[in-house]
Amino acid sequence: MYLIADFREQPKLEAAILALKAAGITADDMDVFSEEPVELRRGILDRPSRMSLVSVLGAIATGGLATVGLYAAQQSYRLVTGGMPIFSFWGTGVISYEATMLGAVLATFGWFLWESGLLRKRDKNIPVPTVLPGVMCLRVRCFDPHVTRARQILDSAGATDIARKEVA
Amino acid sequence: MAASVPELLPYAKIREDLFRPLSSGSSRYWITVFAALAVVVLGMAAWGIQVRDGMGVTGLNRPVFWGFYIVDFVFWIGISHAGTLISAILRLTDAAWRKPVTRAAEAITVFCLMIGGMFPIIHLGRSWLFFWLIPYPNPRMLWPNFRSPLLWDLVAILTYVTGSVIYLYLPLIPDMAQLAEHNVPWRRKLYRILSLGWTGSDREWHALERAMKLMACIILAVAVSVHTVVSWDFAMSIAPMWHSTIFGPYFVSGAIFSGIAALLLVLGILRRALGLELYLTKHHFDNLSKLLLLMSLLWFYFTFAEYQTVWYGNEPSEMAVFAGRIRGLYAPYFWIMVVCNFVVPFVLLGIRKLRTISTAMISSVCVIIGMWLERYIIVVPTLGNPRMNTASGVYTATWIEFAITAATFAGMIVLYLLFSKLFPIIAVWEFKPHAVEED
Repeated sequence: MYLIADFREQPKLEAAILALKAAGITADDMDVFSEEPVELRRGILDRPSRMSLVSVLGAIATGGLATVGLYAAQQSYRLVTGGMPIFSFWGTGVISYEATMLGAVLATFGWFLWESGLLRKRDKNIPVPTVLPGVMCLRVRCFDPHVTRARQILDSAGATDIARKEVA
Repeated sequence: MAASVPELLPYAKIREDLFRPLSSGSSRYWITVFAALAVVVLGMAAWGIQVRDGMGVTGLNRPVFWGFYIVDFVFWIGISHAGTLISAILRLTDAAWRKPVTRAAEAITVFCLMIGGMFPIIHLGRSWLFFWLIPYPNPRMLWPNFRSPLLWDLVAILTYVTGSVIYLYLPLIPDMAQLAEHNVPWRRKLYRILSLGWTGSDREWHALERAMKLMACIILAVAVSVHTVVSWDFAMSIAPMWHSTIFGPYFVSGAIFSGIAALLLVLGILRRALGLELYLTKHHFDNLSKLLLLMSLLWFYFTFAEYQTVWYGNEPSEMAVFAGRIRGLYAPYFWIMVVCNFVVPFVLLGIRKLRTISTAMISSVCVIIGMWLERYIIVVPTLGNPRMNTASGVYTATWIEFAITAATFAGMIVLYLLFSKLFPIIAVWEFKPHAVEED
């Protein structure tokens, strides 16, 4: 079961989230929907992210692969270098650098799609609120013993409209 | 006064104003599109003739084998730095005035890279063998030379294109989600597919903002490397006035310089054509004009440093190129370049009373012309005056090269006009109605 509450003021929304968390509803069970990013205060509804780590790992993996591939290619298809080393340190460095950056770009984009949930298969039964300009919708997943209490919290926090949606 | 500050406008009004250009199309708009398309078709016909008859139809001849095509390549790659680099710098520094500027800038990057990236292929002559540029093993052992800056170019530009497309696409997603209820069926379908089912949840917003910050950092590093690598196409050869240690930063600063000029020009045209006077204010043009002036001074400093060192060294082969540029065959181009790149911006933008939107546009046009001439002056005189004096020669472009060059400018216009009809040119979601202006 889901409760969807509309808020027009950010402090009221923040107060509602804090009160719901105090009542035992976790951050994973809450989502805020809006037409523009809502910057909630730290500690209200933090969403930890591994995007930076994934980006660095993507960069290392692609850069490493490119370096190994370039080394193997230069050893396997030997050019006439006029006495210079077969392995071109400078040339390999430039191409590896670009490959490293490409890895970071692709890893960041891929992780964005994953972390935002855009890439994942969604449960179509979960209600998605229609957001009006200037309105912030708080969607709360709760189960029977908590529903009445959650509704009271939303109401007292200043929600302008509260709807109850059953999951099919 | 308040109405002139976009942040004070209601969000619904901002949405309406910025989405309106997508639905309406004036006759002037379509005339411009078709006129530009006609020039593109002419350029394609010229390319067709070149493919059929060979490179002999161009002015390229011994010893000048790099002409308009390489000039155009360096020029367009340079302009491409407008977008991503400027947008990334402004995003990372959290400059509030960037909001109406960034998407227009990012779109310039993508289109310029598409156009610039075509020139090495056009320049190949046998364009259908372009895939030989890509490193892959084959029965003829045509393994590309990893020491060649041309291969570095290919890799750098591929990385930059990929990054720039993603950097343009990411902040478009929320806007496309808002447009997913458009009343034209094909548009509705397009926006639904491209918005990937965006719902506007805080998880999505968090991920988007993080991704944009990271992408801004990465793209800065890529953008600088791309034009440095392009400069190495020249600097890594021991040719007079190419073999220079400052060519990397000289090219990067020149690229940012021409990029800002292109951005100012595009914003000026969009402001008038789409009626965005409330969103692209004098404040934005003033800030970008100051940046253009700064880059003009930096360009002059680099150019002076480069030429002064050559002149003082007095090395005969270098001086042959130097003399050709300063008082010889290429002198008119050189001095027009100095006037366009330094004198005009310095006077029009340096004197506060003269700094208006119109003078910013005039300066931008001058800088774009000047920077194209700068690329020409770098490429052609050196090849025309190689170290062996007996091998010197003159390059004169034919109508084929002029037509293809004109087509790329027209192509840029077509791409930009179509983009502005498909997607909001200003990121709607980034405009939040604030009580006070942030900067």
